Amino acid sequence: MKRIRLTINDQLYERDVNEHRTLLHVLREEIGLTGTKEGCGAGECGACTIIVDGLPLNSCLVLAVEADGTTIETVEGEARSGKLSPVQEAFDKHHAVQCGFCTPGMLMTIKDLLRRHPHPTREQIIEGIEGNFCRCTGYEQIIEAVLDATGQLEQKGAITHA
Amino acid sequence: MTHEFSYHAPGSIAEALALLAEHGDEAAVLSGGTDLLVNIRSGLSRPRHVVDIKRIPELKTLSYDRQSGLRIGACVTMNELLSYAPVTEWFAVLQAAGVELATYQLRNRATPVGNIVTASPCGDMSSPLLCLDAEVLVVSQNGSRQVPVREFITGVQTTALAPDELVQELIVPRTYAGAKAGYKKLKRIKGHDLGVVSVALITSNGTVRVGIGSAAPTPLLLPDFACGTPAEEIQAAAANAISPIDDVRCTKEYRAFMVGVFIGRLVEEVGA
Ligand code: FES
Ligand code: FES
Repeated sequence: MKRIRLTINDQLYERDVNEHRTLLHVLREEIGLTGTKEGCGAGECGACTIIVDGLPLNSCLVLAVEADGTTIETVEGEARSGKLSPVQEAFDKHHAVQCGFCTPGMLMTIKDLLRRHPHPTREQIIEGIEGNFCRCTGYEQIIEAVLDATGQLEQKGAITHA
Repeated sequence: MTHEFSYHAPGSIAEALALLAEHGDEAAVLSGGTDLLVNIRSGLSRPRHVVDIKRIPELKTLSYDRQSGLRIGACVTMNELLSYAPVTEWFAVLQAAGVELATYQLRNRATPVGNIVTASPCGDMSSPLLCLDAEVLVVSQNGSRQVPVREFITGVQTTALAPDELVQELIVPRTYAGAKAGYKKLKRIKGHDLGVVSVALITSNGTVRVGIGSAAPTPLLLPDFACGTPAEEIQAAAANAISPIDDVRCTKEYRAFMVGVFIGRLVEEVGA
């Protein structure tokens, strides 16, 4: 057991964790933030993507003890005082959520993408979400949502599903 | 992870080496964890001690100068390498192959050194580093030694690294700095995937060098060719050197065929 301190969505958490536990499992099972999902558990699907010290990572491949002292952003920090983030709004409007399993990871990947490219092109979006699988294959709606959230929907004459 | 181990986070190389000397085979070195943690999870690796080297400042070295060339510390991530100006400017082959290595998220953790230490036949950094005559700086309590990547990778996921040794950094000499380069990787899908077969080609000062991945137990470097050598001659040399196998990703015939195709395309695109 080792004591770790994590700042998650602006809140400080201290926990005693087993050294072999992944950050993903500690978030979900010990801190109770179950928004972040486990798909493959092996770095393939991106469902577990969170932002650690400003970098998007697959939290299934990080040990909780490694993350001691870091600042973490998860999907739970997206909506503030009951109001969805602009990307979440756009996901809703464009039906970019089907089963929703990939959504928390997608949202965190896109959050980082928009920090690096505030107005991403369609290609940059496609490349940007390369590490996030959507088994419902709703990629087109996800791309439209990101284009819309960044004020560029007209770019491709996309269909809105609203 | 169901397998339990104890976690160590040494703050210096000396401390890390002491841990490795003490625990030998029972210790595993952790940097990005993109191979190690996958292997622990699947039961392939069962270390009793995990030595996380990311709190060691010297292993974060990323530098480039006339004398020592490019130095890539063990904890430098793929994305750090790819955004390092001397790499984008002088080492096109590392850039071309680096963006093919896994996904953006994984590249925030995965390291070039880890890719070499894992020594998978399909490791994306192997054939480019072979083309560049890169060397591995290995340290232990008994001192240090510098091993060419060519000799460091000894087989399928085996290396010349002893259990008490640690890779401190990769050293890429300036010999081929500025070389024009290309990297082709056959994958099963358009997105990220392990390479089915890959070819790296660089050309500099009248010389053409070709590295091949996933077509033999170890990544291969063909003998040097003079610029202007026809593609057919390079393809024939490659066909001789490779010993591809059938596996879940591809047949050996298709692998051999695609090595030839990629060489043809690279000679055309990069110019030989
Ligand atoms: S659960 Fe982490 S990448 Fe799939
Ligand atoms: S919405 Fe179901 S996996 Fe993406």
